[in-house]
Amino acid sequence: MTAVFAVVGHAEAWWIQIVKSLILFIVGFSLVPVALMMDRKLLGRFQGRYGPNRVGPLGALQPMADIAKLISKEQFRPRTSTGFLFALAPAISVLTASATFAILPFGDVVDIFGAKVGLYGVDVSIGILFAFAFSAISFYGLMLGGWASGSRYSFLGAMRSAAQLISYEVSMGLSLLGVIMTAGTLSLTGIVNAQNGMWYFIPQLVGFVIFMTAAFAETNRPPFDLPEADAELVGGYNTEYGGGRFASYYAAEYFNMVIASGLAVTLFFGGWLLPFGIHPPHWVDPFVVLGKTILVMAFFVWIRATLPRLRYDQLMSLGWKILLPLATLNALVTAIIVVVTHS
Amino acid sequence: MSAVIFFIAAIGAVAGAIGVIALRNPFYSVLALVGHLLSLAALFLLLRAEFVAAAQVVVYAGAVMVLYVFVVAYVGDGSQPVGRGGSGLRVAAALFVGALFVELAIAMLGSGLKAIGGDGAPYKAGFGQPAAIGQALLTKFLFPFEVASLLLLVAAVGAVVLARRRRGLTLGDEERDASRFVTARPRFTGTMAEAVGLVHAPQDQRENGAERSAGDGVEPPVPAPAGVRDDEHGGW
Repeated sequence: MTAVFAVVGHAEAWWIQIVKSLILFIVGFSLVPVALMMDRKLLGRFQGRYGPNRVGPLGALQPMADIAKLISKEQFRPRTSTGFLFALAPAISVLTASATFAILPFGDVVDIFGAKVGLYGVDVSIGILFAFAFSAISFYGLMLGGWASGSRYSFLGAMRSAAQLISYEVSMGLSLLGVIMTAGTLSLTGIVNAQNGMWYFIPQLVGFVIFMTAAFAETNRPPFDLPEADAELVGGYNTEYGGGRFASYYAAEYFNMVIASGLAVTLFFGGWLLPFGIHPPHWVDPFVVLGKTILVMAFFVWIRATLPRLRYDQLMSLGWKILLPLATLNALVTAIIVVVTHS
Repeated sequence: MSAVIFFIAAIGAVAGAIGVIALRNPFYSVLALVGHLLSLAALFLLLRAEFVAAAQVVVYAGAVMVLYVFVVAYVGDGSQPVGRGGSGLRVAAALFVGALFVELAIAMLGSGLKAIGGDGAPYKAGFGQPAAIGQALLTKFLFPFEVASLLLLVAAVGAVVLARRRRGLTLGDEERDASRFVTARPRFTGTMAEAVGLVHAPQDQRENGAERSAGDGVEPPVPAPAGVRDDEHGGW
């Protein structure tokens, strides 16, 4: 069997890859309720209330109750909707989100009972471009959902998300050029290893700020939640969805937040590396990554509780007139510095 | 395994390409084109051209086709299928198809179909990876690469100039008068009566509305027979 991806780091036996993908799947989908719970609980505290505290200890089982409720609901769709696209769209969203999770590295290649295993789904040579490719496909999840609903609110929400995704994907890609040039590789494990000594959020502070702003926009989180601005559009592209399909959209949204946090940790906060020369044994690495990811997710919630939503024209001028030139300038300056210091 | 993936992707690519021209609804045509491009990306992956596959998905499926979907969803109403086109168009199309077929036949027969039996070029380590492609673009193909980027820059500047000339409504351009954007609507539109599914206002309200709206210069809604529900236009 020839590997579909030419692997940079290390290719395992086929059964290890299956076990790995199962573990990643379980870990990824366990992080979704955690993100959901953090969002609601922290948001409650930011607003001077308790947040959910009825189901289970401290309300910790609330996401489970939500999921059970949504999945047991009856499926329905508007008369004006297009059947198979209406059903397909949420599946695209979940699929692309979980596929992107495969490139997040939780550690380097380690020895587990004599077998060499990389603590990541797959370490592709195109690295971060893999994530961009799937985020490009995830657009169709939102767009088809909004279009196939046959509802104007959904359609307007989908249109807004289309414009927003196109605008901010450019800045996001350009903001990462600095990181890629400094590390000299696209591979995510390579980028983490290159951060040994100094995490990239210090030399690439401008890139980091642009990346985080674009990540907020790409994940439809406030203050960039115009595609589902509840005050204007009822619920955006998922207005007509209910039950399990709505749960899929909801899960994909939080999954994207987890992935954006994970990418920020990998690209700017040194992945599994710890500061001050602390080198724990390798089995700690995945927990370091998870801990950092949860901290970045808390930052997402913090911003949601702090900033008001942008107006549509503000959103567009921020993306095209401020972030894009800034990201280009950052890439240019980084390129000059890299050339000067390497020669 | 790779043979299975190849046939799935190849069938997807061919089916997508046929779908683009065969489907009558422009929105589905665009979606078929997206499917075709994704299948091509899968074929590139099988050839170990990872960077080309990623670029294919990011640039074509992610940027170009997004704009197509955007435009078709806004403008192309799916209820009006694309027409068959005039006779002149059909003759021209037949000519082009014939020319393309002859060209492909010459290319295929000219190679003597020798490559089908062989194994193809051997795989070189590093082929198709970003490093190898960057190396090639910035050394061997530097001039065409720079010329192409210049061309894209010209296209971008041209797009901005064209968009500027239309003098679209921009903020701070002129004083915005909100009343200019308020369009006249029948009194009944946007009320709870419409929300519960009535298509026209009940009789007493309608007269009421007609009186009031006469002052605003708004046409009263066209009366419909009582009890008739306009299901064709309902639903939203």
